[in-house]
Amino acid sequence: MIKNELTNKKPSNILEKIEATLEKLNDKVEIMIEIQKSTNNNPNNSKAPLSLPEASLDVMTLLSMPDHLRKTAMSICRCSRATAEEIAEQTKRARAVESAYLNQLVIMGYLKKERKGRKAYFFIEKEVQS
Amino acid sequence: MTQIIAVHSYKGGTGKTSLSVNLAATFAKNGKKVCIFDLDFRAPSLFAILKTPNADFWLNDYLNSTCEIDKTLIDLSSRIPGNGKFYTCLANPSTEAIRDISSKDRKWEMRALGRLLALRESMLKDMKFDYLLFDTSPGLQYSSINAIVAADFVVVATTGDRSDVDGTKRMLAELYNLFEKKTGLVLNKVLDPAVTAKKTEMQNKIKTDYQVPLLGMVPCFCEILRAEGNLIFVQDKPDHPFTKILAEMARKIEANEVN
Repeated sequence: MIKNELTNKKPSNILEKIEATLEKLNDKVEIMIEIQKSTNNNPNNSKAPLSLPEASLDVMTLLSMPDHLRKTAMSICRCSRATAEEIAEQTKRARAVESAYLNQLVIMGYLKKERKGRKAYFFIEKEVQS
Repeated sequence: MTQIIAVHSYKGGTGKTSLSVNLAATFAKNGKKVCIFDLDFRAPSLFAILKTPNADFWLNDYLNSTCEIDKTLIDLSSRIPGNGKFYTCLANPSTEAIRDISSKDRKWEMRALGRLLALRESMLKDMKFDYLLFDTSPGLQYSSINAIVAADFVVVATTGDRSDVDGTKRMLAELYNLFEKKTGLVLNKVLDPAVTAKKTEMQNKIKTDYQVPLLGMVPCFCEILRAEGNLIFVQDKPDHPFTKILAEMARKIEANEVN
């Protein structure tokens, strides 16, 4: 099906489609890696949760974070809800880099992730925020 | 562009509130729409300095999400000459409120940060304020760090006292730097008049010692001590040297010249 779709489109459209699919795959692989890491770190628990329990993203937590994650976390604090691309615009880092850091923050329990169509939105838990 | 300014220090008694009030009044005198916030929830003092009428709602209520920000604002524009607007948003000075805010947990502090960050939309964008000034409590407290994170620019007040100098240096390196905040240092209560005379020399020294630019130097004025917090110098003593120093600081911030 993809092959048929691709043959009827311009090369630039095809590249866009490939890039979007690769980004999706990239996001999924990152999540799988993080899940594996948290499972390996906890050998007593063979059925590790998909993410850690909800943790608060307060200023003391921000202070104790490694620099690369703090930058991403502070941007999401300012926007409340954003895509990796929007965060990348603020931090002036690559979208894929921000995507990896945002997913890491999701795994750590600081953020939630929601997909709407092709876009993935990251946000601080509503119950905590409101 | 600098619009939210936090005034902070390592130790108490460095002159944060006096600097905040007079800096806010200077902006208002220059025709700007300004609001000064009391974020020193454990020792509120702005209500006494500004001699405000009793507030119906406090900053505490806004942070607790029991009201929106417009309910907490007190209009004091009539006290400032010219067309500028001068508002304040106060911390509740009652013992019960201080006790309540001291018992808040990390999740509340996180929500409070969200509420402070939301002021950018509600006050700067919708209500068209030019400047918001956060008068914070000294040291590493949640309310102060929240204010620093929410601000565009941090004014750090320091004195020549050794206990203050070391702590300020540490705070600059370990707090503002981590949050990548633009910072300007105010050397306050300078006793030696020769120090304030050597401007360029001091600017270089401060930059070497503290690794941040010097926003201004304020000599120790006996009149300020004598006023016992009863005067807003910018308003009551327009020709006083302190007023002129504040005007220069405001100009540097407006022109984005602090570097």
